[in-house]
Amino acid sequence: MSDRKIFSVVGIFDSAQHLMNAIPDIRKRVNAPLEAYTPYPVEGLDKLLGHRKSPVGGMVLVMGIIGALSALGFELWTSGRDYPQVTAGKPLFSWEAFVPIMFEVTVLFAAFTAGLGMLLLLNRLPMFRHPMLRSSSLPLVTRDRFALAVEARGAEIDVEKITRLLQEFGAKSVEVVEEPAPAGVASPKFFLRTLTAIGIVCILAGFITYWTMKLFPIVKPMVHMLDQPRLNPQSPSRYFSDGSGMRMPVSGTVARGSVPYTIRNQELAGDLVNPLYRTETVLRQGRQAYMNNCSVCHGVLGDGKTSLTKAYGAKPANLVSQSIAGLPDGKLYHVIVAGKNAMASYSAELGEDERWATVHYLRVLQRAANARDEDIPK
Amino acid sequence: MKSGSTLTTAESTLQLLKPPSVVTGHLTIGGLDDQVLTPVGTKPPLAWFVAFSVTLSATLIGIALIAYTIATGIGVWGNNVPVAWAFDIINFVFWVGIGHAGTLISAILLLFRARWRNAISRFSEAMTIFAVICATLFPLIHVGRPWLAFWLAPYPNQRAIWPNFRSPLLWDVFAVNTYFLVSLLFWYIGLIPDLASLRDRTTNRVKKAVYTVLALGWRGASLHWHHYERAYLIIAGLATGLVLSVHSVVSFDFAVSLVPGWHMTIFPPYFVTGAIFAGFAMVVMAMVVVRKTMRLENLITDYHLEVMNKVILTCSCLMGYAYLLEGFTAWYSMNPYIHHTFMQYITGSYWWAGWLTITCNVLIPQLLWLRPIRRSYSGMILVAVAVTVGMWFERFVIIVSSLHQDFLPSSWQIYKPTFVDYGILLGSFGLFFTLVLLFARVLPVIATSEMKMVLPGSQPAHKGGRHE
Ligand code: HEC
Repeated sequence: MSDRKIFSVVGIFDSAQHLMNAIPDIRKRVNAPLEAYTPYPVEGLDKLLGHRKSPVGGMVLVMGIIGALSALGFELWTSGRDYPQVTAGKPLFSWEAFVPIMFEVTVLFAAFTAGLGMLLLLNRLPMFRHPMLRSSSLPLVTRDRFALAVEARGAEIDVEKITRLLQEFGAKSVEVVEEPAPAGVASPKFFLRTLTAIGIVCILAGFITYWTMKLFPIVKPMVHMLDQPRLNPQSPSRYFSDGSGMRMPVSGTVARGSVPYTIRNQELAGDLVNPLYRTETVLRQGRQAYMNNCSVCHGVLGDGKTSLTKAYGAKPANLVSQSIAGLPDGKLYHVIVAGKNAMASYSAELGEDERWATVHYLRVLQRAANARDEDIPK
Repeated sequence: MKSGSTLTTAESTLQLLKPPSVVTGHLTIGGLDDQVLTPVGTKPPLAWFVAFSVTLSATLIGIALIAYTIATGIGVWGNNVPVAWAFDIINFVFWVGIGHAGTLISAILLLFRARWRNAISRFSEAMTIFAVICATLFPLIHVGRPWLAFWLAPYPNQRAIWPNFRSPLLWDVFAVNTYFLVSLLFWYIGLIPDLASLRDRTTNRVKKAVYTVLALGWRGASLHWHHYERAYLIIAGLATGLVLSVHSVVSFDFAVSLVPGWHMTIFPPYFVTGAIFAGFAMVVMAMVVVRKTMRLENLITDYHLEVMNKVILTCSCLMGYAYLLEGFTAWYSMNPYIHHTFMQYITGSYWWAGWLTITCNVLIPQLLWLRPIRRSYSGMILVAVAVTVGMWFERFVIIVSSLHQDFLPSSWQIYKPTFVDYGILLGSFGLFFTLVLLFARVLPVIATSEMKMVLPGSQPAHKGGRHE
C-alpha cells in the first residue's frame, strides 16, 4: 500500500435491497460519513442516507420569476420606450402581446437553472479528479452493482474494522480508495485559470475594439445598409440621360399644403392679410422658425448684428428698424417667399403657416426693441 | 380478451388492468447494458452503410440546392405573391411538429408516470432534436439573406432599433430556439449516466477520453441522483408547458393574421394535436426499423408499439374533429371569405390535397381500431406513412390553398413548386435520417439508466429500507 491518504472504504453489494439493508447497521457502528453509489436512482435511498430536500425547486422558482420579469421588462422597454412603434393599432405598452416571449424566456431560464444548477452547483460536476473515478468499483457501479462508501474526509478511519463490518453486512467485495496524487500541471485548476485569463483577455479586447472604433472611426463595423448599391444625393448617374442622379419633380407639381404664389413684386404684396391669429402657439411656432432659419443672419434679436456681419461684411437688414417695422405683413411675407437681393427665398424651408407665423414673430421682436412703458409687466 | 367468461373474479379483473411488463423475457440489469451499449461505436453492418449513403446523398442534394438558392436568391423557388409562403413554411411547420412527439414521450409521459416511455424516450428525444434542426433550417433560408438572420436577435445595434416583440414571427424565433435548447439540455442530462456507463465499459483510449469528457465525471453518487431526479422532473414539467406552447406559437403565425382560413381560435390546439400525431407516426416508423435491425424486440415490445398506435388513433380522431370544426366555423360564421376558403380546400384548385389530407389523417388511421393491425408491422407502417404524408399535405392545404386566392381576385395565382423546392424537401429528410443513423451508432438508443430503474426487481421491496 502506498503512503497516500485514504479517501474511503467501499463495499460492493449485489442488489439495491442488500445495500439498503446494510446502511442502518453500518451507520450505527461507524461514526463516519456514508455515501452510496448506484447505477440508477434507488427509491428511498436518499432518505436513508439523510439527504435534505433538494433545493432545485426553489432555485427554479426564483430564476423563473427573474426570467419572466426581465423578459417582460425588456419587451416593455424596447417596444414601448426605447424604440416605440405602434403595431396593429395596439398601445405602446400592450403587455398581452409580450406574453408568449415572456413565457418562453421563463421556461428557458427555469430549465437551464434546473439543469445547469443541478450539474454545476449542486453536484459540482464536471469533476474529473474524484477518487471514485479511479477506483475499480466504479465500473461495477455504472453497470449493475451498488456501492457503499465509508468516507474519511480528511480524518483517520479504521480500515480493518470497516472492511470487516461491510463484509459482515453483505458486501461481496471491499476496496480501499485512496486520495489522488497531487494535481500536476494539467489540473482542473490550471484549466480554470487559463479559461479565466482567456475570458479577461476577451473582455479587454472587446473594450479596446469598442473604443478604437469609436475614437478612430476608420473601420466601419457592420454597415450593411450603408454598403448597398444606391445613389447618394448630388451624385451622378448614367441611368438618366441628363447624367444627374437627382430627379426634378414633374413640371406643374404642387407640394401638399402649398398655395401657388404668383405675386412678383414686393410692392404688390402689401395687400396680403396674415391669416393667422396671434395665439401663443402661433408665436411659438414663429419663434422656432425664426431661430432655425433667420437668426444666423438677422440675429436672435432681429437687429442684424451677428458674427456673420463681421466675418463676411454681409449686411442683413435690421428687422427691428422703424422702416421695416412700418412695412405691412404682406411685404415681409413676400421677402420670405421670394427673397431679396443677397437674401435667398425661404419658401422651400418654411411652409405656408410657418411663414406667416414668422411674420408675427418679427412683430414681437420689433415691439420688444421699441418697448413702451405699458409693455412692462406690473 | 376473455371478458365473456362467467368466472371473472375481482382478482382476475385486477390482473387484466395491471400494465404488462415493460420488457419481455428475462433481462438482468447488467444484461441490459450488454445488449444496448455493446453495439455503440462498433463497425456498423452493411445495411447501415447502404442506408447512410442514400440519406447522405439526399442531404447533399439539399445542401447543393440551398447553396444555389442563397447564391441566386429565393426567386428560384415557386413562391410568389400571393403565395409568399409555400414549401419553406410547410416544411418548417412539418418538422417542428415531428419533434413534438419526442418531448411528449420524454416529458408529459414522465409526469404521468407511464413506465413504458422509458424504452423509447431516448430515441424520440433524439428525433426531436434532429427534427428541430431540420425545422430551423427553413425559416433561416426563407429570410433570403441568412447571414443577416442575427438581426432577429434583440441586441443593441448601431441602427438603434429593436425587433418587433408584438410579432408572432418573433415569438416563433424565441419559441423554437427555446424548444431546441431545452430539448438538447433534457436529452444531454438524460445521457450523462449512460455516457458514464460507456466510459467505464470501453477499452479504446480515444473513446474513453471522449466519453469521460462528455460524462462530466458522473459517478452515480446517491446525493447526485437525489438532485438529478428532482431536476429531471422539473425540466420535464417545464418541457410539458413548452411542447404545448411551441406549436401554439407556430399556429399564431397563422391565427394572428387576417387571412381567411388562418384567423381561427381553434388553431393552437389543432396544431398541437397535429404535431403530436405526425411525430408519433415518425416515431413508430423509426421504432419498427430500430427494433428489428438492432434486435431490441425484448425492450421495445409489441406492447410499446400498440400503445403508440393507440395514441395515433386518438390524435387521428381529434384531427377529424378539427377538420369538421373548420367546416362548421366556415358555415356558422356566415363569413363569405372563410366560406370561400373552406370550399377552396375541398373543391378548389387544390381539392386533391384537401381530400388526401382527410384520407390520410382521418380515414386510414381508423384501421388502428383493429387489434391485429395495431400489432402488425405492415399495418402500422402503412398508417404511419399515410399520416406523415397526410400531415405534410395538411400544411400544404392550410398555407397554399388559403393564400392562392386572397382578397384581391386580380392577384389570384396557382402555386407551382420548382425542382429546388422538391430538392430541399428531400434534403431535409436526408438530413434528418442521416442524423438518426449516426445517432444510432454512436450513442445508446435506449436510456439504460432509466430502463434499469423499471426492470423487475430493481427497486427495494419495501421503500425506505428496514423499519427499526
Ligand atoms: C443668409 C443670410 C440671411 C438669412 C438666413 C435671412 N436673411 Fe433676411 N435679409 C438678408 C439680407 C442680406 C437682407 C438685406 C437685403 C437687401 O435689402 O439688400 C435681408 C433682408 C430682409 C428683410 C428686409 C427686406 C426689406 O424689405 O428691406 C426682411 C423682412 C428679412 N430679411 C426677413 C428674413 C426672414 C423672416 C428670414 C428667415 C426666414 C431671413 N430674413 C433670413 C439676409 C438673410
